[in-house]
Amino acid sequence: MNNALTISGLTKTYKDFVLDSVSFDVPEGSIVGLIGENGAGKSTTINAVMGLIKKDAGHISIMGKEELDNDTKEQIGVVFDGSNYPEILSPKRLNRVMKNIYHSWDEHTYRSLLKQFSLPADKQISQFSKGMKMKLAITVALSHNSKLLILDEATSGLDPVIRDDILDMLLDFVQDEDHSILVSSHITSDLEKIADYIVFIHEGKVVFFKPKDELTEQYGIIKCGAAQFDALDKSDIIVYRKMDYEWQILVSDREKMQKKYPKAMVVPATIDEIMLLYVKGER
Amino acid sequence: MKGLLLKDLYIAKSNILVTIVCLIVLGFGLSFLLEASALLVLAPPCATTAVFISITSDANSKWSKNVITMPVSRSQIIGEKFILYIILSVLGIIATLIPCGVLAIIDGGISLSSLCLYGSIGISASLLAGSISLPCAYFFDPDKSQIVFIMSFLAATGIITALVLLVNLIIPVKDSILMSFNIVLIIAVIIFFVSHKIAVIAYQQKDIT
Repeated sequence: MNNALTISGLTKTYKDFVLDSVSFDVPEGSIVGLIGENGAGKSTTINAVMGLIKKDAGHISIMGKEELDNDTKEQIGVVFDGSNYPEILSPKRLNRVMKNIYHSWDEHTYRSLLKQFSLPADKQISQFSKGMKMKLAITVALSHNSKLLILDEATSGLDPVIRDDILDMLLDFVQDEDHSILVSSHITSDLEKIADYIVFIHEGKVVFFKPKDELTEQYGIIKCGAAQFDALDKSDIIVYRKMDYEWQILVSDREKMQKKYPKAMVVPATIDEIMLLYVKGER
Repeated sequence: MKGLLLKDLYIAKSNILVTIVCLIVLGFGLSFLLEASALLVLAPPCATTAVFISITSDANSKWSKNVITMPVSRSQIIGEKFILYIILSVLGIIATLIPCGVLAIIDGGISLSSLCLYGSIGISASLLAGSISLPCAYFFDPDKSQIVFIMSFLAATGIITALVLLVNLIIPVKDSILMSFNIVLIIAVIIFFVSHKIAVIAYQQKDIT
């Protein structure tokens, strides 16, 4: 399988933050979810991919090309959180602007998507709700024959209904095997619905890059008391966290653990719980 | 680049129209007090305020971040603002030439040499101010940029005075005033061009977040 995006050893150093040798891929035809707490390095990674910031080290290859030239940019649709376009414009005027920026601009697709999402063509963007602005940004991203969509916190602050609409849109997009999506979000439930792979970034480092099914179907949490915790084989523990009345231990194979510790309560782990344990737990 | 220019013209449309109408009205109004062609000194700097409206709008709407992901180069992004600046300066001149032309037809009190002189001073002031404020608009926050924008016109006046004094060392300005100011204009064009190159080089290195 070819990769739409390959990031290898990406490093960027700021005074108070280091994006430290980040590596992961976005295989063609897949959705990769980038998760992590605020300030973990998700946006820095995306900014480096899109050439907004200069990387200090590492390699980024988009659709097989290391150089982010205009031809490559034509094939990438990017959606940032919040407003993406001057608010004085209307979708109709935005169409005229984009038609003169993207060679591959598809006016017909743009108009039909506007209609599909019930976005008024003549209304100023300033009068749009946050959800409408986000739908417009995604409409633009899908109207120039993009092969790779990059969304940075695109669903944050939106209500569940609009988020669900957007997730459906993304799933539709990736039906074509040439299409891929990299989506950063701290709403892990959204990614649980759509992502094929999860990249977890914590304090500028990739903690894991795994298929989502492996996380949701194999990972588990052992919930136990202090005595049971002491009896556990420490090599089985990925991370653990002491709560008020119990210990929570993240394990990579919950069925195996259930067999090994039949008296322990082993429950499936959500991505949210995995992320929390990694961030707040001990090793 | 056409798309970027179109976007800026949409943003600045109302401001451009107001400026043009004001210049025309001022031209007729001031003709009772002084020669209307003197307004050519103010016209280009006034007309270019729309560029800073568009730069502020770009920053506020995160367009300045979004546009980097589009198939346009950073040099095109900067170049477009410099081109818009020139277009607006020319529009300012044209708007002021309307009352000047009408008044010239009515009473014939406006000479071509005064039009050229004031036009030359106005464009020089505009280009010199833009040479300072345009690059700064990309490297300072919007509040500081507005201060730089205002200060740049004061600086431009100072630079023109200094240049005229320098020219006076070679050519007596009193004897050939139009030629002296045309030399100043040529120097202003060169400075504007150099400023564009510097802005492009600096913007290439800038992290946009």
